[in-house]
Amino acid sequence: MPLAAERAPGMPASSAAARGAGAIVVALAASVFLLFIVAPVAGLVASGGWRGLAGLGADRELRASLVLTAFTATVATVLGVIGGTPVAYLLARRAFRGRALVAAIIDLPLVIPHPVAGIALLLVLGRATPFGAALYAAGLRVTGSITGIVCAMLFVSAPLYVSAAREAFARIDSRYESVARTLGDDAWRAFRRVTLPLAGRGLTAAAIVMWGRAISEFGAIVILTYNPKVASVLSYDRFTSTGLSGAVPAAAVLVLFALLPLVALRALRMDERQGR
Amino acid sequence: MSRSAFVRSKVAPITVGVAVAAAVAAVHACSRPSPSGAAARDTVVVFVAASLAKPLQPVFAAYSARTHAVIQAESGASVVLARRITELHRIPDLILLADPEVFPELLMPRHVTWYAQFARNRMVVAYTANSRYAAEIAPANWMDVVRRPDVQVGRTDPAIAPAGYRTLIMFQLAQRFYHRPGLADSLLASAPERNVRPDASGTAALLAAGELDYIYDYQSVAESNGFQFVALPREIDLGDPSLASEYATAQVRVRRPGSDTTVAIAGQPIRYALSIPENAPHAAAGRRLMSDLLSPAAVRELRAEHVDMLDHPIVAGSNPPAELRDATGG
Amino acid sequence: MIRLANVAARAGAFALADVSFEVPAGGYGIVVGPAGAGKTTLLETIAGVVRATSGRIVLCGNDVTHAPPEARHIGMVYQHAFLFPHLTVRQNVDYGAASRDLADDMITRFGVDALAGRPVDSLSGGERQLVAIARALARRPRVLLLDEPFSALDPRTRNIVRRLVRTVYYEQRFTALQVTHDFGEAGLLGDVAIVLDRGHVVQTGDPEDVFRRPKSPYIADFLGAENVFAGSARPIRAEEPDWVEGDPDGFMEHAVAFTTGALTFYALGDVVPGPTHAVIRAEEVSLSAEPSHSSMQNQFRGRIIEIVPNGALSRVTIDVSGTPIVAAVTARSVRELRLVVGSDVVAGFKATAVHLC
Repeated sequence: MPLAAERAPGMPASSAAARGAGAIVVALAASVFLLFIVAPVAGLVASGGWRGLAGLGADRELRASLVLTAFTATVATVLGVIGGTPVAYLLARRAFRGRALVAAIIDLPLVIPHPVAGIALLLVLGRATPFGAALYAAGLRVTGSITGIVCAMLFVSAPLYVSAAREAFARIDSRYESVARTLGDDAWRAFRRVTLPLAGRGLTAAAIVMWGRAISEFGAIVILTYNPKVASVLSYDRFTSTGLSGAVPAAAVLVLFALLPLVALRALRMDERQGR
Repeated sequence: MSRSAFVRSKVAPITVGVAVAAAVAAVHACSRPSPSGAAARDTVVVFVAASLAKPLQPVFAAYSARTHAVIQAESGASVVLARRITELHRIPDLILLADPEVFPELLMPRHVTWYAQFARNRMVVAYTANSRYAAEIAPANWMDVVRRPDVQVGRTDPAIAPAGYRTLIMFQLAQRFYHRPGLADSLLASAPERNVRPDASGTAALLAAGELDYIYDYQSVAESNGFQFVALPREIDLGDPSLASEYATAQVRVRRPGSDTTVAIAGQPIRYALSIPENAPHAAAGRRLMSDLLSPAAVRELRAEHVDMLDHPIVAGSNPPAELRDATGG
Repeated sequence: MIRLANVAARAGAFALADVSFEVPAGGYGIVVGPAGAGKTTLLETIAGVVRATSGRIVLCGNDVTHAPPEARHIGMVYQHAFLFPHLTVRQNVDYGAASRDLADDMITRFGVDALAGRPVDSLSGGERQLVAIARALARRPRVLLLDEPFSALDPRTRNIVRRLVRTVYYEQRFTALQVTHDFGEAGLLGDVAIVLDRGHVVQTGDPEDVFRRPKSPYIADFLGAENVFAGSARPIRAEEPDWVEGDPDGFMEHAVAFTTGALTFYALGDVVPGPTHAVIRAEEVSLSAEPSHSSMQNQFRGRIIEIVPNGALSRVTIDVSGTPIVAAVTARSVRELRLVVGSDVVAGFKATAVHLC
C-alpha cells in the first residue's frame, strides 16, 4: 500500500493526500478488528493450550464431553442435511407465493436469544405438552438427554445450513437440470445425477458451517440438558466451580477443537481452487 | 454461500435488533424519575443466591420506589456468585448467599472480613398438582414414592450449589433416621445426573414446566413458586440449628470438577448469610439497603415471602459495620 | 411433427399467448423475433421445461401438453452448450443416449472423438456446442429444438457445425425447430418460418414468403429489409402514360402506384388506396449505368451516397429524388461499374419485388 498515492498529472495534491490518508485509515481499522478477534483466542491458547492438551489424557470428563459434543453435533447435522436440503432446493428453485416469508421463518432461530430458543423448545417438546408427551411415551426424553442436546443444536444451527445450501443450489443454473430432463431423466434422477454432484461442494461446506455452529451452542442446550455436559456447558461449569485456573486449560482445548471445522472448510476451498 | 454474502444477509436484522435493544434500554434509563431532593440517587449492585431471588424481588422493588435507589440484582448459585468476585473482580455492594461457608472458604479475608447470618431454610420435597402420585405422597412414604420407576426427580449440582450437596447430606441423614441401609444411594440413583441443574431456580423451572415430578429444594423456593411440598423430619431437613451436631454426623464427598479429587463436606444447619465486600463501589448504599432488609418491616415482608428470617442476625468475622451492631441489638 | 394450438405459458418475465403453428413431420421450422419475444420460452414450453398454462402441444401425433420433459422424446440444444461440468465429454454424450453405439457414432460424426475423455472445461466454444448437439442427438429424439445454437460461434466454426447438423438432419429426418437471428440461414434450411413478437405469433409461413412479404413494416424491418418506405398507394388505370411492356392486361388489373416523398414507383397487389408501407429487399435492387430495356418497371437515376462492403455483397445506398434506396450488389459489380460515392447510377427493381403491407 503506497503511503502517498501517486499523483496523476493535473490532479490536485490535496485529493492525492486524502486518498493516501484514506488507505491508512482503512488499514488501521482492519488491523484493529483482526486483532480484536485474534488476540483473545491466541491469548487463551497460549496461556492454557499445552497444559490443556497435556492434561487431556487424564481429564476423562473433558474427553467424554468432547466426544459427546462431536457426536451430538454430527447427529444434528445429519438431521439438518436430510431435512434442510429439500427445503433449500425448493427455496432456490421454486418461486412460490410466501417464499420470502418461509425464508424469514427459517432464519428466525438465528435472531432469537439462545436461552429463549431453549425455553421455546421446552414448551413444545416438554413432557407436559401433547407432542412432548407422545415423545416421552416413545422413550424420547428431551431434558437431560442426548435428544435434548440434538434438538437444541438442530434448532439454532439448521438455518445456517438451509441458507448456505440454498445459495449452493441457486448458483447452479437450472438449465443443467432442464437439459438432463430432456435427456430422459425424471426430476429426481436429474437432481441426483446433475444437481447434487454440482452442488456437492457447497452443500458440504454448508454442513460444516452447521456443525461448527452446533458445537459452539450453549444457551439453548443448557436449558434442556445440563447433564450430560457438552463442551460449552463443561467449560462454563469449570469456570464457575473452580475458577479461571481450572477453566483455562479446558477452554484452550475447546478452542483448538473448534478450529477443526474451519480447517475443514479451508481444505475444501483449497481443493476447489485446484480443480478437484 | 460466500461468507460476505452470508454476513451481508444477516447484518440487517442483527443491526435492527441491536438498535432496538439499545433504544429500549436508553428510553428505559431515561424514564426513571429523578429524585426531588439534591442527594444523588443510590445505585446498589446486589448478588443474590438463586433461592432468594424470587422472594427478594418485591422487597427490592418497594425499597426502590421509596428511596429512588437503583438496584442491580444478579442471581445465581452461591459458588457462581463468589467466583464472579474472585475471578472476574466484579465487586457487588451487597452479597447474599445460601451457604455461609462460602465466605470463609472463598471470600475471606481478601474480599470480605465479616458476614451475618440472617435467615434459615430447610430441605423439602417439592411438587405440583401435575406430578405423578401427587395425591399419594406424604411424610411417611415420600422416600418410596420418589423411587418409583416412572417418576422423574430433580436436584441441583452439588459442585456448585449448596442446595446440591445439602440434598446429598439429607439423603445420608434419611438413611440413618429411617433405619434403611442403602437408602441414600437408592435416593441418589432415582435423581440421576440428567435431572441435575446448576442452581435451585433451574430445577424449579423444570418442575413448573412439568418436566420433573419432584425436586429437592429449599422450603422458601417451594413456597415462593407456589409448589406443594412434603415437610421432612427436623432430624434430616437441616433446618434446626439445635440439631447441628446431629447434622454434622453426615458427610458427603463432592467431586471437584476437572480432577478426581473430592472434598468432604459435613452437614450443617442451613443459614443464609450476607456481607458487604471490602472494595464495594457503593458501600454506603449497600449498608443502607442492608439496614432496610434487616428492619422489622422488611423482616415481616420477607417472612410473608416465605423466607424464614432470624429474629436477630448472627455476625461472624471482624469489623462488621455499625448498622449491624444496632440490628443485633448489642 | 410439431403442432401448437393456442398455447400460453409464462416463465419469469417472458410470456407466450395464443401461440399456434405447425411444423410438418421431418420438417425444419425457424423461429425469429426480436429480443424478449419469448423464443427461448417457446422452445422450453415445447420441451416441457416450462409448463403450458393453456392450449395443446402435439409432438409426432402425441398430445404431450401435460407430459414431463423426459417423456416427450425431444432433444434440446441451448445457445451455450450446458455440458455437465462434472462429467467428461464421453459421459456427457452417453448421458441420455439410446445406446452406447449411437453415442459413439455421434461422437465420431461430430468429430469430437479426440476429446472424448477430456473434462468439458478444457473445450473451446465450438467444441462444446458440437458435443451438446451430439449429446442431444445420441438419444435419437423425434423432435430437435435448437436455441440459436450457432450464434455463440465464430463464422468458420458456425459453418462447420451448421453443415454437420444439416447432414444428420437429412439422414435422420427428425422434426426440427430452430431459433435463429440469422434470417439468411433460416432461408436456407427452413420449411416453416414463425415470427414471434412479445409472446405472440405475428406471422407464419414459408420462409421465402415471410421474407419477401412480411405482414408489417415492423416485421420487415426486423427481418432485415433495408428498404421500408411509408407512403400512400393508389391503383392506376391503363391510361397512365408512362406504362411499359410486360403483361399489360394482367398487370394493369393489379398495378399500384406507391408514392413516398417525391418518389413514385410501381407495385402489384390488391390494395386499398391510402397510407401503407412498401418493402423492397436490397437483393432485388440492381444497379446499372444506364436504364435497361427489361421487364423492370421501376428504374430511376440517382446518386450514390454510401457504399458499405459486407462480405460477398456490398450495400449501396442511392439517393433517388430524396428517398434512399439500398441495393445489395456483389463486390465485383461494384468494381466493374466503378461505383463510388457521388457517382450517378440507375437503380432498378421489378414491380413484383415491391411488397405492400
